[in-house]
Amino acid sequence: MLRQPLTRALALSSPARAAPLAVRRYAEIAPQPDKVEVFIDDKPVYVPPGTTVLQAAAQVGVEIPRFCYHERLAVAGNCRMCLVEVEKSPKPVAACAMPVMKGMRVKTNSDLTRKAREGVMEFLLVNHPLDCPICDQGGECDLQDQSMAFGSDKSRFTDIHFSGKRAVEDKDVGPLIKTIMTRCIHCTRCIRFASEVAGVDDLGTTGRGSDMQVGTYVEKMFLSELSGNIIDLCPVGALTSKPYSFVARPWETRRIDSVDVLDPLGSNIVVATRTNEVLRILPRTNEEINEEWLSDKSRFACDGLKRQRLVTPLMADSRGNLTPVDWEDAVVAASRALRDCPADKLLAVAGDMADAESLVALKDLLNRLGSENACTEQYFPLEGAGIDLRSTYLLNTGIANVEDADFVLLIGTNVRFEAPLLNTRIRKAFIQKDTDVALVGPKVDLTYDYVHVGESASIVKDLASGTSSHEVLRKLEQAKRPVVILGADQLKTQEGAALLAYTQELALRLQDKLEDKNWKVLNVLQRTASQVAALDIGYKPGVGALLSAGPQVVYLLGADSGVVTRESLPKDAVVIYQGHHGDAGASIADIVLPGAAYTEKRATYVNAEGRAQQALPAVSPPGQAREDWKIIRAISEVVGVRLPYDNLDEVRDRLSEISPALVTYGDMQNNNYFAQARALAQSLQKPVSGNLDVKLKTLEDYFMTDAISRASPTMAKCVQAVLKQKQSTY
Amino acid sequence: MAARQAIQVGTKNVRPVLSLNAGEARARVLNLYKAWYRQIPYLVKDFDIPKSEEQCRARLKEMFLNNKHVTDIRVIDILVIKGQMELKEAVNLWKQKGHIMAYFKPTEEPKPKDFLSKFFSSNE
Amino acid sequence: MSFFLKRAIGANCHLGRVILNNTKVPTVQRVATKTDQGTPQVETRPTVAKIDPLQKAQLIDFGKYMAECLPKYVQKVQLTAGNELEVLIPPDAVIPILQFLKDHHNAQFASLVDIAGMDVPSRPNRFEIIYNLLSLRYNARIRVKTYTDELTPIDSACEVFKAANWYEREIWDMYGVFFANHPDLRRILTDYGFEGHPFRKDFPLSGYVEVRYDDEQKRVVVEPLELAQEFRRFELSAPWEQFPNFRGNPATEEVTNATEAKKE
Repeated sequence: MLRQPLTRALALSSPARAAPLAVRRYAEIAPQPDKVEVFIDDKPVYVPPGTTVLQAAAQVGVEIPRFCYHERLAVAGNCRMCLVEVEKSPKPVAACAMPVMKGMRVKTNSDLTRKAREGVMEFLLVNHPLDCPICDQGGECDLQDQSMAFGSDKSRFTDIHFSGKRAVEDKDVGPLIKTIMTRCIHCTRCIRFASEVAGVDDLGTTGRGSDMQVGTYVEKMFLSELSGNIIDLCPVGALTSKPYSFVARPWETRRIDSVDVLDPLGSNIVVATRTNEVLRILPRTNEEINEEWLSDKSRFACDGLKRQRLVTPLMADSRGNLTPVDWEDAVVAASRALRDCPADKLLAVAGDMADAESLVALKDLLNRLGSENACTEQYFPLEGAGIDLRSTYLLNTGIANVEDADFVLLIGTNVRFEAPLLNTRIRKAFIQKDTDVALVGPKVDLTYDYVHVGESASIVKDLASGTSSHEVLRKLEQAKRPVVILGADQLKTQEGAALLAYTQELALRLQDKLEDKNWKVLNVLQRTASQVAALDIGYKPGVGALLSAGPQVVYLLGADSGVVTRESLPKDAVVIYQGHHGDAGASIADIVLPGAAYTEKRATYVNAEGRAQQALPAVSPPGQAREDWKIIRAISEVVGVRLPYDNLDEVRDRLSEISPALVTYGDMQNNNYFAQARALAQSLQKPVSGNLDVKLKTLEDYFMTDAISRASPTMAKCVQAVLKQKQSTY
Repeated sequence: MAARQAIQVGTKNVRPVLSLNAGEARARVLNLYKAWYRQIPYLVKDFDIPKSEEQCRARLKEMFLNNKHVTDIRVIDILVIKGQMELKEAVNLWKQKGHIMAYFKPTEEPKPKDFLSKFFSSNE
Repeated sequence: MSFFLKRAIGANCHLGRVILNNTKVPTVQRVATKTDQGTPQVETRPTVAKIDPLQKAQLIDFGKYMAECLPKYVQKVQLTAGNELEVLIPPDAVIPILQFLKDHHNAQFASLVDIAGMDVPSRPNRFEIIYNLLSLRYNARIRVKTYTDELTPIDSACEVFKAANWYEREIWDMYGVFFANHPDLRRILTDYGFEGHPFRKDFPLSGYVEVRYDDEQKRVVVEPLELAQEFRRFELSAPWEQFPNFRGNPATEEVTNATEAKKE
């Protein structure tokens, strides 16, 4: 496979990775070799041997122009834009591929360098169309920027034979990526991304010289959950976003830094808006979480934010139809229902995308009404340590540290679709560090090779007790940095508690033997962005028993995953739904209170690692929709149990009273008490017999999983395209 | 040259706008007040505003008292100058009815202060 | 072949004219990319105005002369953008300096082109008042800059230049700088009853009030503005240095007076 040749290629570029790795705790600390002195424009700089000229120049603040070089991909060295003059070298050298040598004198702005750049740029432009005015990359195009900065100021291109410029047929690679292959400058960044990071070896080049083309050879969809990233990687307008085509220029948009809530990792994003409309979502670099990638659902589901929105409060009329009403009426009606309900018949259910502020406001409201029945949709076993110890329900290793692991055991999870960017970390470890991966659960395509141990839950029991004869157990025990990741979906069943207990037992047994005492083995991968915050605040996981008790009033805070249905409720129950999309929850509601989506409010989300992050408002909520905690605050005042906060800062103060971790933005807390959790779980190690199953098995399952992505037409097109591709013979 | 600069920095003489002491400034304010006061009957008539002379006088007093906390002579002078300019604009009928009525702010509604009325009245 | 010949002739023509005019055109060292011969060429069609060294020397001389003539009033003389002479003066020197520049035989800056204001809130004297003068006799321009704050009046230049009247009214209107002894200081651009000075940096882009016609009142009403304005933010930064040729060019260079410097 890719593995052997790539490791060799990567050896050259390893210092590039040293920069991001250096900030992490578990990075291999190699013995510091003597540094080499080189001179960039006569400025001395000390770098480790093996550094490329380009990286050395970057250290003194000289950015050498480049197209093909990308710090997270292997070095290709085929665009030649980074040519620089090196003293005593007869020809200019490609800075991206040239390792530094002692005493090397690099001139990044000499006549020779400039001439070389102008020449390369001239060649690139000879076969690049002059369609910048209609090109979507215009304004954020590396070729545009660099031809301004480094190109010649006049053209020698005269088409004396009127033969025209090179033209290439466009490829169809699916509903997300628009290709205009005539613009391609053959930097091969997309090819390298596909084969190295995404693990889909579909892209490649065909032909040579002026016949060279980048493409899939046969027409085929780019079947990856990370396909959007090649749009960002493309330095020209050859690969652009299809849903965003001809929508806006980058200088017209306002960019707001925010976080994503469509998967549990909380990737950092930039929301580009214009005239109060979200136009597109781009990744924001965060080495701890998403590097500079973003999964397709997080990137392209933003058009779902404009459709199926609840824009005005609704109430069921005498015939049961939801009709628009004023905020006063809706709030008064909701308050009356809450006030007249006995405390034990009250139930609040928080959904996938609830923010910490509204979660705490809703729980405070319920507590003031004398009820403790606040719960989330996702189940988590309350036996044993339950949710009292934070380490039992978090991704303790940390997303970034997973790439330092030397053995990864996945239990009942399809990481590729449940947390695509965690999967890229595992893949990175697999490729660069020869990490082995084993999977207990249904056989799925994870984009890399793994040992499939089986589907039965009893395998986990055998591994935990050390009685398994499988080679995986031996490898686990020998591993210096093992990682065990348990999918939270497996805990829903009767045997969930036992499975968690065995996983804890296994992980802790491994952890105790490790030399590195700071390394954490146990990971539970939650499925939603709200779950960790909800458990931190003290919500009960799962609605099971509370729902069967027959509640009179159900308050759904964005609960759309269909856990609460009309059939499961008593006939006369009142359902209050607060959320942003008209989805499963709103359709069963008697009172609908329109809330704000994650791009419309300043709100706290806690990701699967337990890292609190803040989303910022990019646009204002549509119509009469309001920020969620304010709705609950308003209801509380009308009910007569006024919550003691009037602005966001006061809500945050309340959050920090509950747990300071909820307001320390960007930081990951160091979790402990593993041993106590293990001890509490000892009694739960009952025999297990069932098979593990995951919800998201193939790519078509991935795209539509929550209220926003279900409302997104782009995501619907993706599902169609994937299904169509399956019919195809390729 | 250095000595000259040092002197300039050390003793900063502020240049007066009009008045040299507080008494003079006070006299200017009173003069302005009287000038406006005497013009009120003519303003009411000329602009045909739906306010009585008493209402105008009350508003005049209120607007002067809005600045009663000002003690800096130069600030008082600038305010007096601006007041004189306004008066000139009014007396010469450069202003129109709407400009005079803007002093009374008839169409402004007080903003809601407490959480609930803010929640119901506006999208914030 | 004939094409190249024509070009060469054309270049020679230009060269000839350049010599006749007796102006020095600096030869530019260029990277030999466009043409195959490596010899440095005379730039025949300059796209950027070249600085005339003779004119520059004259301006420097005049700047020094002025600093010697009026040592009390001239704080600093500097050249901006290569060939623009600037005189920095304290606020109480406006009349004498302008009178000197207008009436001195070697200056004759008889035309007041413009008076401009500038607001830099971080400075102790936040406003800068800038007088642009033109001498038709010597075909020269000079810029006089002084400073003030919100409360310090500046002497009106009306008694020296009649043209200053409206310019000073504009600055009073836009910045709120009071001009003492102005014959007719009143607003010039804003509406009657307008509050505030729009060019001050602390004045919001959308203003404080909005004006609309009210159907019930049958007249124009003024109401406080409630408009969350969307500001355009340009992200012009690219990782690449855009204009490496302009690296390290200072915007202004001070003209020091040799004798003055010696004294210190």
